[in-house]
Amino acid sequence: MMDLVESGVPLDSDAFMELAIQEAKGALDRLEVPVGCVIVENKKVIASGSNRTNETRNATRHAEMEAIDGLLQQWQRDGLSESEVAKRISECVLYVTCEPCIMCASALSYLGLKEVYYGCRNEKFGGCGSVLSLHATSCTPSNNAGIAGFKCFGGLRASEAVSLFQIFYERGNPNAPRPHRAVVHP
Amino acid sequence: MVNNSWEIIHIPGKPPFSPTQQPTVDVFASIVDPKHANTLIRKLNKIAPFENLRHVKRVRKSCSNGKAELSMILCLTGEDGTELGSMPMDLLELTNCYQLSPFVTQVCKYAATTKEEWEEQCKLWPTSFHPPTYNIEGITGFSEENSTRIFNYMNFALKLAKSAGDQFVNAAVIVDPSLNKIITSACDEISSWNMHLDGHESHSLDVVEATTSHDDANGCALLKSNLNGSFNVPKSSSSRISCLNPWQWSHQHLSSSSSCFWHPLRHAAMVAIEYAAARDRRLFPTMEESDEKYVPLDPNVTSASAVGLPAKRQKTKLANVKNGDDISADGFLSKSERPYLCTGCDIYLAWEPCAMCAMALVHQRIKRIFYAFPNPHTGALGTVYRLQGEKSLNHHYAVFQVILHNEALASVEESITVEKGE
Ligand SMILES: [Zn+2]
Ligand SMILES: [Zn+2]
Repeated sequence: MMDLVESGVPLDSDAFMELAIQEAKGALDRLEVPVGCVIVENKKVIASGSNRTNETRNATRHAEMEAIDGLLQQWQRDGLSESEVAKRISECVLYVTCEPCIMCASALSYLGLKEVYYGCRNEKFGGCGSVLSLHATSCTPSNNAGIAGFKCFGGLRASEAVSLFQIFYERGNPNAPRPHRAVVHP
Repeated sequence: MVNNSWEIIHIPGKPPFSPTQQPTVDVFASIVDPKHANTLIRKLNKIAPFENLRHVKRVRKSCSNGKAELSMILCLTGEDGTELGSMPMDLLELTNCYQLSPFVTQVCKYAATTKEEWEEQCKLWPTSFHPPTYNIEGITGFSEENSTRIFNYMNFALKLAKSAGDQFVNAAVIVDPSLNKIITSACDEISSWNMHLDGHESHSLDVVEATTSHDDANGCALLKSNLNGSFNVPKSSSSRISCLNPWQWSHQHLSSSSSCFWHPLRHAAMVAIEYAAARDRRLFPTMEESDEKYVPLDPNVTSASAVGLPAKRQKTKLANVKNGDDISADGFLSKSERPYLCTGCDIYLAWEPCAMCAMALVHQRIKRIFYAFPNPHTGALGTVYRLQGEKSLNHHYAVFQVILHNEALASVEESITVEKGE
């Protein structure tokens, strides 16, 4: 993965990833796979989400999808048109604790987000380099000239993201009683 | 499975080779004396094990001049060529010791995935054939009854795909094949996001009733008549098929009315998954008490039979649930009956799904995917990507294309291909 310092990651990216981690912790408390994210526009968080696959019994309700749905609803309530939404989302940056899966990476590409910062890699399902590279390849150029993928940077606070997964999987059966653990307030 | 107007073909996890043009590798082999065979096999397995050729059999029995003859593979030929001198030293020793006369021959590089491939392979050198490790019904062919069902469900999906007026959309139908029943169905909802609707379930159940009530012969005739001449997609009306044009939403005027939300990601398969999940939550509500095993589906229906029945008695009645409808006579389902996501279910799609939808179907544990038309620029089940062959994924479905031999249908594909290729 790219060296974050040399790649020019914005200085406040750490703070945004912190918010994504808080989202992931919320998912953990709800016995969900702990992944969280925030969407940032002009250095301001405009949407957030965390995994809800167990609650909804819909395995596609990943953090990214939750945040996107919230954002699209809000913008339409605000009266934005399709082209206005497209323009604003192309300035948006996603911070997510784990590399987007193939599904979410495709979705982010379709929507046209500008950049994605993620924590740990997703070796099994990752769509931003681990299994497929959907951030780099968008559509066939001849068909959709000018449409690019999104920039993607990994490794931002990866160990914290991993340790949340470890807590989740060590717990085993999500329906089993939760072990007592200290609530971390950074 | 071939029918006059239909064909179901399996889309495997690796790009298919023509059975007669499978890649091969060169090996050294030799005729051996049968009484040395066991010793040689033991020694060879030690010196030159078949690391990447486990499907290839070490020994070939053949008949020469009415006499049985054994030949045995010694090792792969080296990169240096097929000179005997390129054999490893310990193999050369073995060759001298047993007076072998090595020759070069060819074996197939990859394990056969179909019976046809396997039969061709064995003409070169015998291999073993293990039908795909994931044993999914249909990969080795469908019964007449099952293929008729598949045609019927696909027909239903195609009707949905053209139900949106003059615009074609992608359509998805989720089916439980063990019950021969539609779980839910959906069309693209890119321009009308019905946030408060709980799927098209009741509608689809009516339709499947009609669809499945035809016997086999009538079923196929019905399909043909339904499709003939009715599936011409004008170029202009294919542009809204979600999976074909996932990037183009921003150039379209999506909102049909101000009361409706629009959503560029509500491709038919995503919507169908959401409806299936909503149905799951409704039929199998979560009970807070962990020791409560049985879930009343509808208090109004169930209270009468539930009251006064001892708990033991209720359990015995559950045996009937699995064979019947979701809602049994006494309206109880055990937690163990609750499906895990869409495990065991099939999905029928008009168009090959894009990567987002194909991955969503992995997440939701769909068993088999049937699609009618390939998706030339974003298809993720064989055309651009091949998710069913991505080893790292934690679930693998089987993929089939239902090919329509029908001029009217061929023109659908053509018009889309032409438009996309511009
Ligand atoms: Zn995802
Ligand atoms: Zn799609």
